[in-house]
Amino acid sequence: MEKERFFSSAAMNWQRSEAMAAVEMNCGGGEELPAFLNINWDQSVEQSATAQLESALSSIVSSPSSSHPPPVAAESVVIRELIGRLGSICNSGEISPPSHLNTSNCSHTPLSSPPKLNLSMAEGRGGVPIPGNLFPPANFPPFAADPGFAERAARYSCFSGRNYATLPGSQFGIPETGKLSRVPSSQSLKVDVSPLEVEPRSKLTGRVSGPPTPMETELKSSQEASSVSGESNSRKRKAASKGKGKETPLSSKVAEEEDGSAKRCKLGEINRSAEKDGDVQLKTEQNDTTSNGNDNGDQKQGKESNAKPPEPPKDYIHVRARRGQATDSHSLAERVRREKISERMKFLQDLVPGCNKVTGKAVMLDEIINYVQSLQRQVEFLSMKLATVNPRLDFNDMHQNRGPLQHSFYPIESVPGAFSYAYQPQQEAPLQSVVTNNALETHCSMNPLDSGLRRSLSMQPPPSDGFADAASQLCNFWEDDLQSVVQMGFGQNQEDAFSSQNFHGSLATSHMKIEL
Amino acid sequence: MATFASIELGSSSVKKPRTGSLNQAQIKWRTGAQERIYNRRLIEALRATRAATAPGPHAVKEAADSALAITARGQSRWSRAILTSRLRRRKLLVKAGGRIRRRRRPRPPQKQDPAAVKGGRVGERLRALGKLVPGCRRLPAPTLLEEAADYVAALQMQVKTMRALADALSAATINSPAPAMEEDS
Repeated sequence: MEKERFFSSAAMNWQRSEAMAAVEMNCGGGEELPAFLNINWDQSVEQSATAQLESALSSIVSSPSSSHPPPVAAESVVIRELIGRLGSICNSGEISPPSHLNTSNCSHTPLSSPPKLNLSMAEGRGGVPIPGNLFPPANFPPFAADPGFAERAARYSCFSGRNYATLPGSQFGIPETGKLSRVPSSQSLKVDVSPLEVEPRSKLTGRVSGPPTPMETELKSSQEASSVSGESNSRKRKAASKGKGKETPLSSKVAEEEDGSAKRCKLGEINRSAEKDGDVQLKTEQNDTTSNGNDNGDQKQGKESNAKPPEPPKDYIHVRARRGQATDSHSLAERVRREKISERMKFLQDLVPGCNKVTGKAVMLDEIINYVQSLQRQVEFLSMKLATVNPRLDFNDMHQNRGPLQHSFYPIESVPGAFSYAYQPQQEAPLQSVVTNNALETHCSMNPLDSGLRRSLSMQPPPSDGFADAASQLCNFWEDDLQSVVQMGFGQNQEDAFSSQNFHGSLATSHMKIEL
Repeated sequence: MATFASIELGSSSVKKPRTGSLNQAQIKWRTGAQERIYNRRLIEALRATRAATAPGPHAVKEAADSALAITARGQSRWSRAILTSRLRRRKLLVKAGGRIRRRRRPRPPQKQDPAAVKGGRVGERLRALGKLVPGCRRLPAPTLLEEAADYVAALQMQVKTMRALADALSAATINSPAPAMEEDS
């Protein structure tokens, strides 16, 4: 896998160097070439790869010093790989300025498809003959004696050697340089292909797709490692998708998806350490995939939201393996499950006060359980309190005796809306009648709605004094649903006064005071 | 109690842009409209309870819970469970003439592997949580957590409303009943 990556990057670099071959020839170390030409190449190097390689190399080549860098030995391994890749890329390309190269062991590589590469790079390159695409599906014969290859190799060694010093991981030198070169080359090259990370995918899928992203050009060398690992990640994903056997019909879409995802992956990894598992999902990616999603419906590819741009994950079908994690379907499903659970736990954490400091599911669940228990205890306590405030009355007695006013006041007082009744002690009689009526109604019916209805209806026969109206108003206050019914039963003006209001506790009391 | 007296309610700024019912649970129970609706239902239930011939010791609590479940409009499992159990109990009461025979569930609680098994301490706690939330005993973890979130939000609103009501009523009764209250809730 790594090899492929390197090959692609090397191919890109080589392409660029080829492009620059006409422009300049800085490093002339062609002696290394023959050794590398025997390497077999991965065939699926894309036009874009080559184009990028070319651009990268061109920029890099222009910058490095003409002299060979001292650490040639260190470069040699990388160069070997690079050249190998280049071989695949450039086997069909030809180099316009024929630089002579002793490549005895190289069979003839059909470097004769510059038009392909030129197509991809022509916009930027103009008349520079670029060994063009190298064909993606074609088999690459061993790297032939490419006249420009030596130059490219040399240039590549120059720039790669130069970069080795800067890179912590030498293996990343090449892709890094590729990346570096891409920055300046973007202007010149106008590469219309996805960045380096796309290469592995494109190689796998056999085509290059994806919109160019300026962000890739911004990537710095330090992120090369992450991007490279991102490539490996994307490759893993690709492999996983391939393994599922659904890649072929969806390869195009997959490539697009993964192109986008790779870009996001890179971006995400820029912001994070390389070791961190990067979720690869961005809005644009999702939007891209939504269009493809229907087609990819069967495919078990999904995106998990990136930590940076949070997104609601499509968790029903699409699951993407994270970096460095297993990619089989079981673990993916488990991961989706686990994430659902953790999402809900986070939500609960917000609800329950004081759960922020707690980490870990078990302790948090403990807290939640305690909180629920305490809430339930509170409800019990408050219900007992309400029960004491709501004394049960003996309505029969009240009905018969027209009992002391005190008793009659209790039920009304217990009802918030009925507070106003107590203010008119002089109207005890109608109050009591109202109370008894109310009591009777409530006594008879268990259904609060029905009782309310009966109460409201029973208000009609009693004298339509203030209290009756107040009682009806109270009913209205309590049961909005009965308002229509009550309106039928009562005078319209009274209803209109109350129907538009939304009574609530004190509001009702104040209003009723005014009314009464 | 004091620790939870400061339950933060009301502001809907805590919402996360999340699909599904998780976000709605928080929003739904914290709106003033829900509080009012619940207040209304609670009062109705209280009146019904008051008028009941033999309100048991937990009548008010059950009435309050039923009111809460009604306010939930049956969209959550626990609310449906509350209403179902109340109905069942009442029917049993009526039918058996006071003697309620709680029928054990026909099958003993078996562990369904796909449903609720989660090993270790977390599993224990999940099951304990399932016992607390009505009607959520044998739910799988994500559903259970969802129900628990909704239930917690509903409980918070219930406590807030009941406390306000109890304070208002107690304030009303503290003063002498004849002149009754100046202070409103």
